[in-house]
Amino acid sequence: MRKKLITLTVNGDEHELAVSPNETLLDVLRNEVGLTGTKRGCTAGSCGVCTVNGERGQAVLSCISLAVEWDGRSITTIEGLEEGGELHPVQQAFLEYGAVQCGFCIPGLIMTAKALLDTTIEPSENEISEALAGAICRCTGHIKVKEAVRQAAKTMREQRIQDGSREG
Amino acid sequence: MQLPPFEYVKPQTLAEGLDLLAEHGDKAGIMSGGTDMLMNMKFRLEMPEYLVSLSGLDELKQIEPLPNGGLRIGAGCTLTELAQHPLLSERFPALRDSIQSVASLHVRNFGTLGGNVCLDTRCWYTNQSENWRDTREGCFKTDCDFCHVIKTAEKCHALNSSDTAPILMVMEASVVIASAVGEREVNMLDFYQNDGVEHTVLKPGEIVIAIIVHPVTARTIYAKLAQREGLDFASGSFAAAINGSNDKVKEARLVMGSVGPEPKRLADSERILIESGLTDDAIETAAQSARPALGEVTNLYTPSGYKRRLVRTMVREALQELRAQ
Repeated sequence: MRKKLITLTVNGDEHELAVSPNETLLDVLRNEVGLTGTKRGCTAGSCGVCTVNGERGQAVLSCISLAVEWDGRSITTIEGLEEGGELHPVQQAFLEYGAVQCGFCIPGLIMTAKALLDTTIEPSENEISEALAGAICRCTGHIKVKEAVRQAAKTMREQRIQDGSREG
Repeated sequence: MQLPPFEYVKPQTLAEGLDLLAEHGDKAGIMSGGTDMLMNMKFRLEMPEYLVSLSGLDELKQIEPLPNGGLRIGAGCTLTELAQHPLLSERFPALRDSIQSVASLHVRNFGTLGGNVCLDTRCWYTNQSENWRDTREGCFKTDCDFCHVIKTAEKCHALNSSDTAPILMVMEASVVIASAVGEREVNMLDFYQNDGVEHTVLKPGEIVIAIIVHPVTARTIYAKLAQREGLDFASGSFAAAINGSNDKVKEARLVMGSVGPEPKRLADSERILIESGLTDDAIETAAQSARPALGEVTNLYTPSGYKRRLVRTMVREALQELRAQ
């Protein structure tokens, strides 16, 4: 099994890595890049705790994606959301609404919510449920999480309006 | 779960990919989005020496409207991309519904139409971890001549849970299959076979490169029942295409999914609808006749009695909904 040299941009930083074909994106993020915010759960594409965002902002299950498939591409992980000491609106909303029990699923839930809110400015209840169906909280459920996502959607809409008027 | 070792090959053109498959023969495995193949590899149900990734082939990612109103959909288009495609919602809403019902958004972001059409069959005995299987005897899927689920079975009865298969069948879509020696087109109604080990007509070295959906004049519907609305494989799925009015049904195609290695066509129920139209009585009789059409259904994640009742209900409710379209 020959290792392959890949270039992977994680949260804006370029990494040159020698990876085995059978290493997943999750393996490489945690073991080679050293970013352990992305969690290892079922490793079977069911629970969503390993969710990161691809270059188009899409939700990616890093446990069933080969690292070699990401050569020359870029991803965002939970570590890349905070900007200049300020939490991302989704992170802030999860804090405010106490959408956390044990916390293990939170990175995956936040990256899932961010993927939704980056493409859907005003998500319907159905769209929120649909997106969160792929990221599971084993402690309780999605009630608080959904409240947080609704709040984050609102904050992000307001930010967009502010940014727009500043530019205009 | 770690993946087993393999050599990774990523062809840049379709021709190169087909040559690679011909060269490596049964030592080669194929992946596109990887959501099915990589899982089977993690479970050690597939251990290819070479894994050929089709994800770099732009030829497989095109969606072409055809002059007759149909669509040629590249096998490598992701399910998310298709679910959001305006032409699909406009012309083939039932196909869109089936695509939207596959697993979760996360999986649809990677899973492709070709992958869903070729989705491997599953069974509660074999689709377990390697350690679990090691403590038990093998079965048809793992190269032994026995089925532990239906003990009298002479072949594998693992389930075909593809969500897109039943609707593509009732729409009589075509599968475009390519290998190093050429291309052929197969009607979706002839693409599957009743054997959980070899559940499609694909020969070694062949891959699905596109699905052609023909313009549909019929009313169509896709229904799926699963334990949860999100993420789960179907406990049962049903697709119908009806040509003609409610009083006079000219043509009816009904297919049940997740009931065996191939989606099952309900010939008796179709005949009843053609003879009597979409009346309450005919729908009820058609729903009743769906039960015996299923054959062996013990190899399931749900008990067979439950499955038979579920099928009757699904057929009845979906036909009533279609009648109102």
